[in-house]
This record gives sequence, C-alpha cells and structure tokens, in this order.
Amino acid sequence: MILHHIQTSPSRDSALKLCLRYACKEDSILLSSDGVNALLLRQWTMALSPFKLMVLRDDVIARGLTERFKNVSLIDYNEFVVQSLRHNKVITW
Amino acid sequence: MSKFIIQVNGPAYGTSASINALRFTQAALASGHQVICVFFYQDGVYNSTDLSLPASDENDVISDWKQLAQSNQVPLVNCVSAALRRGIVGEQDAHDNGLSHWNVGKSFIMGGLGELITGIESADRLISF
Amino acid sequence: MKKLCILFRCSPHGCVRGREGLDLALLSASFEQEVSLVFVDEGVLHLIKDQQPELIGAKDYISTFKALPLYDIESVLVCKQSLTDYGLSHGLLSIPVTIVNDETIAIHLNSVDEVLVF
Repeated sequence: MILHHIQTSPSRDSALKLCLRYACKEDSILLSSDGVNALLLRQWTMALSPFKLMVLRDDVIARGLTERFKNVSLIDYNEFVVQSLRHNKVITW
Repeated sequence: MSKFIIQVNGPAYGTSASINALRFTQAALASGHQVICVFFYQDGVYNSTDLSLPASDENDVISDWKQLAQSNQVPLVNCVSAALRRGIVGEQDAHDNGLSHWNVGKSFIMGGLGELITGIESADRLISF
Repeated sequence: MKKLCILFRCSPHGCVRGREGLDLALLSASFEQEVSLVFVDEGVLHLIKDQQPELIGAKDYISTFKALPLYDIESVLVCKQSLTDYGLSHGLLSIPVTIVNDETIAIHLNSVDEVLVF
C-alpha cells in the first residue's frame, strides 16, 4: 500500500500520469502544491476516481479553491505525517 | 515514535518543495516523531546559501530551516558534490579550491550521498519533496 | 540493508536529474543496499546506445550505465509501454535490461523499501 505524492501540475509534468499508470487499487494519492490543479480538469478527476484521494488543505485554501473541492478529503500536515506511516512507503513523483 | 528522513530536491525560492518539506518536518517533530536528518540534494542545495535576501515582508524558508535545526537538533545535510557544481560552497571547500568566498555557514553540514543512504537505512520512512 | 529502487522518468542531458539519480544508485550499491533501477516515460531515453553528450557540453554519464554489473545492480526494469511510445526496440538499447509491463512495475514498486524518482 503506497502513498503516491504528486506536487506538480499535470499540465506541466507527467508525475500524475505516471503515478496513475503504476498505482495499485489499494494505493492512495496525495495532491499538494500545483498538484491540486489536477482536480479542476475532468480528465484527471475521472482518472483519480478509483483511488483514495487526499489533498493538502493549505494548498487548496491558498489557491482559492475551497468551494470547488467541497467533496474532496482535505488534510493538514499532521495528517500527512499520519498517512505516511499508515502506508508502507511514500513515493514522490 | 517513528523515524523519518526528509529529502529536499527543490530550491528555497521558485518552487514550493522546500516550504512543504519544512512544514512536514515541523509536523512530524510536533507529533513526537524523530527526524534523523534533512538531506538536501539536486536543486535542494540552494537552501543552504547564507546569501539569500528575501524582502522583509516575505517568507524566509532558509532561516526557518536553520531555526528548526537548532531548536530540535536536526542535522541539515547537503550533498557536497551537488552543491559545489551549483556554486554552493562551504568554508573548507573554498580553502581547498583557492576560493576567497563561500556561502554555506555552520548551520548546514557539507556531507555526502552516503549520509542519505545510511539515513534511509535507519529511518522508518523517507519523504521526498 | 534496504531495497532501494531508483526510478528514472526524465530524459537525459536536458536536466541533471538522471545523472544525480545514477550517482545515488551507484553509491547505494557500494553502501551494500539492494538497488534496482526502473526506467519509465522519457527516462527510457537514457538507454539509447551511441549517445554523444559531450557534443552538447554535457558529461557522458550514460556510458556509466555499462558499469552496473560491477556494482551488483542486476535488476534493471524498463517499461514496455514507454519503449513502444518512444519507438525503441531491444536492439537500440545500450545495456541488458528486463522489459516489463505496467503491472510488473507496480508489483516491483510495492516490493521495495523506498522508491526515489529522478
């Protein structure tokens, strides 16, 4: 069980595309920084839908996206620490 | 209590990798975990320059790293070969190479990749930014 | 001893990620870690033979991949889909590799202790 950590926008970088290619269904995906932008585009919300998804709250609030991400699990850094230990490893793509 | 090693690959200014790594490290320490080392590799070595001068109303992530290291006894370790190639130079490296200036102070250790590897070996988790 | 997987996803020469990934892989192996390499996406371009990086002012670290057996790095996995995407066949590669599907890479990422992406 892996926590995949994406910190770049899918429009600039293939990190999210690759993570989705090699993720298993029991893995989780954490979006941070510009990685959160993926959730604004339908193609990526569809692709992410089979996975447990977490998004760093501060990155969402900072970008004025709180209203758009009402149905997404927003976590703080304390929870990021907890999740990093709950999974077997963290891969930052 | 778990043991973390944090790897920072992004610069102090330009991307959010360093500030995110700092916040994760602060949260891990506040939750009672141990951070064996923060290792700066690739463009992460730019976090160790003493010559960065952010405007007074801006975040100073380098100073935050130094403060975190000092108050929690967490070593900040640079990959020396990644640093030297990028003009990030400690006092000893400056003397050894006939340079009259250096920009890495005493808060950062000029170490090697070996320290990342032994850190990974003894940590429960590696978290990269 | 830990199982460390170094994953190459960026192309060589345009940036130094691949070079710094290889440095880490070789040093990890000399520190007695069990090292495996995985090449995906543009990272597969590291494996093309007859590269001449000096021509563009870059260091020829590509030839160092030939030394992997000396460091006891035997597990070198390459994504079949990525090779197809970039039009590369086995005969165009400079070192012996194991060409695998996405699922095998997923299983491998699960089986190691840490994965470092370059």
